[in-house]
Amino acid sequence: MMTGSIRAAGLRAGSVVVLLLLWWIAAKLVHDPEVLPDPAAIAVTIAGNFQSPGPTGHSAIFHISLTLGRIFAAFAASMLLGIAIGLVMGRSRLVERALLAVIPLMLTIPTILMVFLAVMWFGFSEAGGLVAVMAVVTPYVAVNIFEGAKAMDGSLIEMGVAFKAQNWLLIRKVYLPQLMPYIFSAFRYAFGMTWKIVALAETFGLKFGIGYMFFFWFEQFNMVQVMAWIVMFVVLMLVLEHGLFARLESRAFAWRGAIAH
Amino acid sequence: MALGARSIDRTHLRPQPTVRPGPTLSTAIAVHNLTKTFSKPGTETQFVVLDDISLSVEEGKFVTIVGPSGCGKSTLLNIIAGIERYDTGSVQLSPRRGSPTHQPRVGYVFQSPRLLNWLTTAGNIEFALEAQNVPGQQWKERVTRQLEMVGLGGQERNYPLRLSGGMQQRVAIARALAIEPDILLMDEPFSHLDAITARKMRFDLMEILAKARPTILFVTHDLAEAVFLSDRIYMMKTNPARIFKEVAIDLPRPRKPEDPALLDLEKNLVQEFFGVLEGTG
Repeated sequence: MMTGSIRAAGLRAGSVVVLLLLWWIAAKLVHDPEVLPDPAAIAVTIAGNFQSPGPTGHSAIFHISLTLGRIFAAFAASMLLGIAIGLVMGRSRLVERALLAVIPLMLTIPTILMVFLAVMWFGFSEAGGLVAVMAVVTPYVAVNIFEGAKAMDGSLIEMGVAFKAQNWLLIRKVYLPQLMPYIFSAFRYAFGMTWKIVALAETFGLKFGIGYMFFFWFEQFNMVQVMAWIVMFVVLMLVLEHGLFARLESRAFAWRGAIAH
Repeated sequence: MALGARSIDRTHLRPQPTVRPGPTLSTAIAVHNLTKTFSKPGTETQFVVLDDISLSVEEGKFVTIVGPSGCGKSTLLNIIAGIERYDTGSVQLSPRRGSPTHQPRVGYVFQSPRLLNWLTTAGNIEFALEAQNVPGQQWKERVTRQLEMVGLGGQERNYPLRLSGGMQQRVAIARALAIEPDILLMDEPFSHLDAITARKMRFDLMEILAKARPTILFVTHDLAEAVFLSDRIYMMKTNPARIFKEVAIDLPRPRKPEDPALLDLEKNLVQEFFGVLEGTG
């Protein structure tokens, strides 16, 4: 068990090293930093972005925290609304029928069009980004939670009702724990969608943030900076997904481990 | 919107049982002329689940409904618990004498433990305590006491999936007893257990109940179990689903399952039962 996880971590680190090595070789072969800068140049640029105020007068920390704030606000709003809608759909046939017609429609609209629509409606404002994320992510979360609500164990709900549990107690102790696998599966995907949409909205509309910087350097045709911001973004999201969410997930399902050990 | 209602009963026939003090204080459960029919979706066919059922359980008594599978005895228990609806008739539940409220506390032990696997054993018991608005400062003491009573002292922080089936059912019994019920409903609580565990559980139940003394309505298909446990037995049959006989078991307690008097009684009842079920009685 222990050696297995160490080996997996070693493999992962190894493949990253190989990727960096291939990148470095390719950069040497291309031999043109305007087209493909090597990893070392990117690392130096990233370090510089953290130390000095960039063209906007803000360091990388400012842009990163702004982007993270936008991601978490939009993500939290979409998840909460999606869970609430999915739960109500699962418990009320009327709402289920009404929404099952609308949700596929929402899911069909291409994400990039949703961003354009939101920008046209709300202009280059924070509300535009928030609405774009919610319009795309909420229906997806709702459908997932709805599936979970349908799969809930009716006999446990019956038990709760027999003991006269009020709705809020049922939601906390009976519904939500059974929905956890569905919430987490929605969580992963919804988070991935959220940061992509936020990056897109920053690129096209919002002021400041990682996506904004990305587009700024794109317009300058500065390949080193463009790649530096991409790498910063990717590393940040990987750390969040694997470091934070994986840990939350293993904690939420600790009771299951009770069988194995 | 009633969040719990949908998965329990999609027919919208009649209101929930009215819970009010019974006509005489000593009757804990009074069921009068209860009927329930179930129409198959999309057809005109009416299926009679319960046909004119009347029964009463005096305070502090152990009364059992015995019947074959599918005779509607679990439905009857669910109606009494207020988690299923009925068509006509009445159900009255009364709290024990001297109780400060008109609302009797009703505990339910199901056929399977129905524990919340994501909560510890203590958490599962606390769920029932919170549902019944028992003040939080009493929880710890009640959890400890009930787990000790069912023989699971010290298992507060263990999770249900770590416990055997028999232990899980003990937690379910502790959960039902922790709310200090006026009425305890038990739906074939030992039928999922192996014979040896079930036998031990029956002995333990008798011991526990001697201390807690709630009124009990117990459902089983096992006549030997019914005779061993009960003060009185109602015998039920299918097609139509009716109570056809009521038997008082006046044998002294504590009882032994091998007591010849019990075995004799059981034998007679078995003969009568099969006579009725096979249409010769």
